[in-house]
Amino acid sequence: MKGKTCCFVLAFCLACLIWVCGPVRAEGPTRLTLYEGPKTMRTSETAAVSVNGYDLFVYDVMVNHEHLWNANTQPVTTPMAYFDFEGRVNVRVRMPGLGSPVESAKVLPLSFGIEPQVEEGTVFFTLTEPGAYTVVFNGNVNQALHLFANPPETDVPDPEDPNVFYIGPGEWVMDAIVLEDNQTLYLSGGAVLHSIISVHNAENVRICGRGLIDGSDYPAWNQPGSYARVPIDLDHSKNVTVEGISLVNSNCWNFNSYSSRNVTVDNVKIISGRQNGDGFTFQSCTDHTVTNCFARTWDDSLVIKNYSGSTRGITFRNVQIWTDLAQSMEIGYETDKGLTLDPEISDVLFEDITVLYNFHKPVISIHNSDDAFVHDITYRNITVENALMQGDNGFNKELIEMTLQNSAWSTVKDEFGSIDSVLIDGLTVLNTADGKVPASRLAGQGEENRITNVTLRNVTVLGAPIRDLKTMKLRFNEYCENIVIE
Amino acid sequence: MKRTVCVLCVLALLCLCCPGLGQGMEDPETIVTIVTAPEQTRAERPPCFPDPAEQFIPLPEGENLALGRPVVSGAHTDVYVDRNVNDGKTDTYWESKGFPAEITFDLGGVFHVRTVAVCLNPSSIWEPRIQEIAVLVSTDGEAFTEAAPAEKYGFDAATGNRIRIDFDAAEAAYVRLVFTMNSSSRTGGAQAAEICVFE
Repeated sequence: MKGKTCCFVLAFCLACLIWVCGPVRAEGPTRLTLYEGPKTMRTSETAAVSVNGYDLFVYDVMVNHEHLWNANTQPVTTPMAYFDFEGRVNVRVRMPGLGSPVESAKVLPLSFGIEPQVEEGTVFFTLTEPGAYTVVFNGNVNQALHLFANPPETDVPDPEDPNVFYIGPGEWVMDAIVLEDNQTLYLSGGAVLHSIISVHNAENVRICGRGLIDGSDYPAWNQPGSYARVPIDLDHSKNVTVEGISLVNSNCWNFNSYSSRNVTVDNVKIISGRQNGDGFTFQSCTDHTVTNCFARTWDDSLVIKNYSGSTRGITFRNVQIWTDLAQSMEIGYETDKGLTLDPEISDVLFEDITVLYNFHKPVISIHNSDDAFVHDITYRNITVENALMQGDNGFNKELIEMTLQNSAWSTVKDEFGSIDSVLIDGLTVLNTADGKVPASRLAGQGEENRITNVTLRNVTVLGAPIRDLKTMKLRFNEYCENIVIE
Repeated sequence: MKRTVCVLCVLALLCLCCPGLGQGMEDPETIVTIVTAPEQTRAERPPCFPDPAEQFIPLPEGENLALGRPVVSGAHTDVYVDRNVNDGKTDTYWESKGFPAEITFDLGGVFHVRTVAVCLNPSSIWEPRIQEIAVLVSTDGEAFTEAAPAEKYGFDAATGNRIRIDFDAAEAAYVRLVFTMNSSSRTGGAQAAEICVFE
């Protein structure tokens, strides 16, 4: 009997061993691409990061922990690193510059379910999927590391192609890069480019790579003698693709598209801590798709406006947001800045959006402060991990806000528009500032200027499904109609 | 034996419940590519963008007589005031409000003027454009005569976003430029970052 038991146990252990080790063999080797930092720069002294035993170059990039507008704000820095992989990587993080030992850590988004281990001040965790990961140390949101685990590059352009500008690793500077029809700019991983990229009246343009566009060599745009240097600036262009790069330390807003169409943005990362540092901001554009992106911003994170004509067909999908200032997903305030005939904003989709933090103003907002007809706007599967809106002097701290009101940004002050057919299907709030459901607000303007047909569905706040407007704390005035929660 | 069985069982359970101990912390076989950085001591211009300065239109040697001198013009756009055109910096500029747009320099004495140069910001972000410009001169600031008739000049970052207007030497204490068109779709006025006057 003893012998049989022993054999059984040994067989069991062997099976376990095969189970544990087997998948590693079955999944094949991990493919990992690392990028040396420029020789002119030094890796961060705040953080040390390795993947599968290989050290990463860690950049210190500007962020801002101030959550009220300040024209002369001074950003601070936080560490950021990136690499490409396919397979499985073990990440090790030490934070020698933190000032206190690391005793705990969280890896965001929480939905990824990554449980880091902390041993003797080192954080360990495993990644099996590319994506944007944020590590917060010791429960202090001001102590964070952003780690961008890119998928392996595909379709790298040929440096010999006369239509390709190929910028390799290293630190580079030039005043501006203007791309024309059929041109490609490749910014290699390991490259830090101090410049701006303009696509004006051009088509069939591609910007790709893994490198950084770094605006740190210019003062904030609103300071004396400075001016806005927009890292990616598209206007009146079409068929533009931007993939894989990161925008850091911009001295103003970040990814701007104006009166352009057919624009595809994938795996672009933005970290911004300076004045008016909006993330992806599109004015009077059509057919734009933004997927697999990240935006930590010191102004609106995802923005749609009308500057000269209407907006139609904008999709944001699988985007992570960290909003240090202003709104997370903003439509407005300018909805007819160009005083055009019958302006509209329509067919806009925000899908699979994770708001890691919002510290200031509404997460979901439509501020139609001119006279546009805003309609067919969908928010689907929105997760707000930390809804910590403090607002301004007690105002503008709603979770959802839709208004037809004049504002400081109004061009049309004597006429108003309307909002119709808004669907919020799947809204999950995991944490709030006071442990309560945040308020929401809808305000129409008059009999002819109403907010109509707003449907909320599958809403969960702090773990509790919400099925009535009272529990949702959603208030609206008499110029709103058919506001329902299902 | 019982103890051994217990220990083995616990080990087996650990393996089952904590796969991280077996997989997570032991680095997997890795094929690594390290993209190396070139030796550099400072940020450089990317080699794929040759420096266009060699193609810039040359300016005459000698003193720029307009630099820092009193200047007057008509209405300007936004903050783009006329004193920006002779502050020695091409990243500030003057933009008139509409056409025709006159801008006049007081040179502070009479000179034999032969060349006027008009510069925009040399950055390639300033797309090519054409402006029509005439040059007038005066010795008293009242009666102006034409030194160079209105003509269209092309501005292009590839040549420094600057043009020069050469003419027969003319006595001038005052130099006036008259702009009558600008092809840029971004403005409805004349634009100049620097206007230089040379003997």
